[in-house]
Amino acid sequence: MNVARTIERLIRPHSVAYAHCDLPCGVYDPAQARIEAESVKAVQQRYQNAEQMKTAGQTVEDYRARCLVIKEERANLVKHHLWVLWTDYFTPAHLEKYPQLHQLFWSATKEAGLAKKSSDPEQGQKLLDAIAEIDKIFWETKQA
Amino acid sequence: MARRMLLAVGACAAFVAALRVARRAFLAVEVAGESMLPTLRPGEFILLRRGLPAGAAGRIAFVRGPDGRPLLKRIIGLPGESVRVGDHVELNGRELVEDYVLGTSPAADFRGVNQLGPHEVFLLGDNRVASTDSRHFGPLPVSRVEAVAWVRYWPPGRVGRIARPRRRFRAPTPASSGATPTLEGA
Repeated sequence: MNVARTIERLIRPHSVAYAHCDLPCGVYDPAQARIEAESVKAVQQRYQNAEQMKTAGQTVEDYRARCLVIKEERANLVKHHLWVLWTDYFTPAHLEKYPQLHQLFWSATKEAGLAKKSSDPEQGQKLLDAIAEIDKIFWETKQA
Repeated sequence: MARRMLLAVGACAAFVAALRVARRAFLAVEVAGESMLPTLRPGEFILLRRGLPAGAAGRIAFVRGPDGRPLLKRIIGLPGESVRVGDHVELNGRELVEDYVLGTSPAADFRGVNQLGPHEVFLLGDNRVASTDSRHFGPLPVSRVEAVAWVRYWPPGRVGRIARPRRRFRAPTPASSGATPTLEGA
């Protein structure tokens, strides 16, 4: 057994590659919410430029309808990933150190809700900014 | 004596040179996370060949994700192909047979058709219910693929070549269930 452990230690690679997932592996990362929020903003931009973005056989209305469906879906996923962080990762000890956490999550999820109604990329940027604040605290707690 | 010394120095130099060549050609990583189950398990050590070889469809790629994190995901769609992920994967309108998959893609991850650009690949984790991949962050540029999985060398009981499954498609019949898969070299 010890021999196996010694060999394992000797041949262990220096790099790690992530077969990344969310819930079962217990890996938390605000990047998931950010990626979905980036999708939201990108869709808002596409909605605004529907005329140029649509394919030849597609009407502007159809293209925009698709944008809205996808935006709704992505915004919901932003909320989901934020809630997972809020409820599963952060602890009361974190809240003591960062008393603004509840407010930050509340604001960020509110922005995700607003993103469903808005097709303005500036609103999508506000959502990204809110997530960035959470991201900063998250990585501080990781280093603590 | 001097000749022996020379030989020893020569052997050391050759070893170092071989190591440098090996580092350029190969990459060793430890697998973290469960999104490539059942093919790759967390804690396994694998050796990858650098670069993207021809016929990369179906290979497990070491890629840089959108946030720069090194990821292991299977290459499903190649440049120019159209990919649709529902409860199964459709490539250019044909259902892909995937024996390596664990579970089915959750409804929340369903997408429309992704028409890949000339330099894009579409990646999926084998563990479809627990993978963050192109269903979430979209296709990635081919340039982000740094290597493809070749051999698993730890643990001893799982040592072996990481096979590349041949692309197979389910025959397009009206009642597709139970239809015979067709083979296509890729």
